[in-house]
Amino acid sequence: MDKDRYYNHLLFRMEQLLYHELSDCASWKTELIGIDFIQTQDIQGANETEIIDACIAKLKAAGLVKDITYSIGGKGILLKLKVAGCPHMLKEKLLRESGIKPYSCLATNMILDQLIEKLGYATTYVADLAVDEEKGECAIRAAIYATPAKIGEVSDWSKE
Amino acid sequence: MPDILDVIVSRKSIRRYKPDPVPDELIDKVLEAARWAPTGENYQPWRFIVVRDQETRNRIADLARLGSGSRMTAWYCMGHMQERFAGIEDPVKREKVLRFMYSGEVSAFAKDAPVVIAVIGTLMEGSVDVPYDLSAAIENICLEAHALGLGACWVHGPVASTRDARKFKEILGIPTGLGQYKVIAYVSIGWPAEQRKHPRPKKSLEELVFWERFGNKERPRHG
Repeated sequence: MDKDRYYNHLLFRMEQLLYHELSDCASWKTELIGIDFIQTQDIQGANETEIIDACIAKLKAAGLVKDITYSIGGKGILLKLKVAGCPHMLKEKLLRESGIKPYSCLATNMILDQLIEKLGYATTYVADLAVDEEKGECAIRAAIYATPAKIGEVSDWSKE
Repeated sequence: MPDILDVIVSRKSIRRYKPDPVPDELIDKVLEAARWAPTGENYQPWRFIVVRDQETRNRIADLARLGSGSRMTAWYCMGHMQERFAGIEDPVKREKVLRFMYSGEVSAFAKDAPVVIAVIGTLMEGSVDVPYDLSAAIENICLEAHALGLGACWVHGPVASTRDARKFKEILGIPTGLGQYKVIAYVSIGWPAEQRKHPRPKKSLEELVFWERFGNKERPRHG
């Protein structure tokens, strides 16, 4: 039995139903999906790059991603992630085929969770998830707000 | 039976309030309207928390600012907000409106509303219609408030994300278990300090209604 395939079909059905119930709000409701793994990993770091690097190392070591690269820009608000070799690509493909734009990246949820839990970030928001099925990677743009004062510090993300 | 269409059509979402207190008798009427909303199998899963305390309202307003602002800042950075408000021709005015939105100030009015009513639903009594029942109660609240001359605004955004909903529950002492109570929205209420001169345009019935089957725009003749 292909367990990855089995679990991806379960996740697909759950996300499909959530989207049907909640429309675009579904992504806001699923921000905790995946955090249980990372919360058991004793992530340590004094700043955001150390936290993100530690999360990526744990994810790779556990075989949950092949690699994640990232950059931080947009006045410190924009976290761009590229997730390669994620076992949930099938889930995203099934969602797309059912007419729903993929909206939940578990690896991103984990990283954002640790920014909040370990560094006390005020809030985060997954702004965009683009899935490249051919390359087998996803590009995520997330807003990370270290403090409430960072809300409203705008810039043009298309230039990042 | 009186037709309440005028009440429905003239209602606007009011976000600016006079500081004058709202008498208990009027809040009681608003809550009474909520209590009589339709509810599946008469479960009445709704519970209402009436908040007048300024400090609590400030905390709710801060949460609202954070929730809306975090999303709208990102949307602005991606150009979505500019597209949405492209209809405002004056660039200075447009930027002022956009700043009001992405700063989150657009949602921070709970601090100025004399009353906030949190609408939550118990998930522990078997109802299968909680979000729908609560929405019906909220609409009744908004309509009754308007009929009494009050202004009200239905606010969902600040409790829309799972983390924010938890923070909202913590502010009001609501049990935080996801199997206990669902926070669906709050309604801010007060005496209106604004007249909405330009209500948001509504789609026409022609655009919205099908007859007998999905997609059929042609109204059948009767008689």
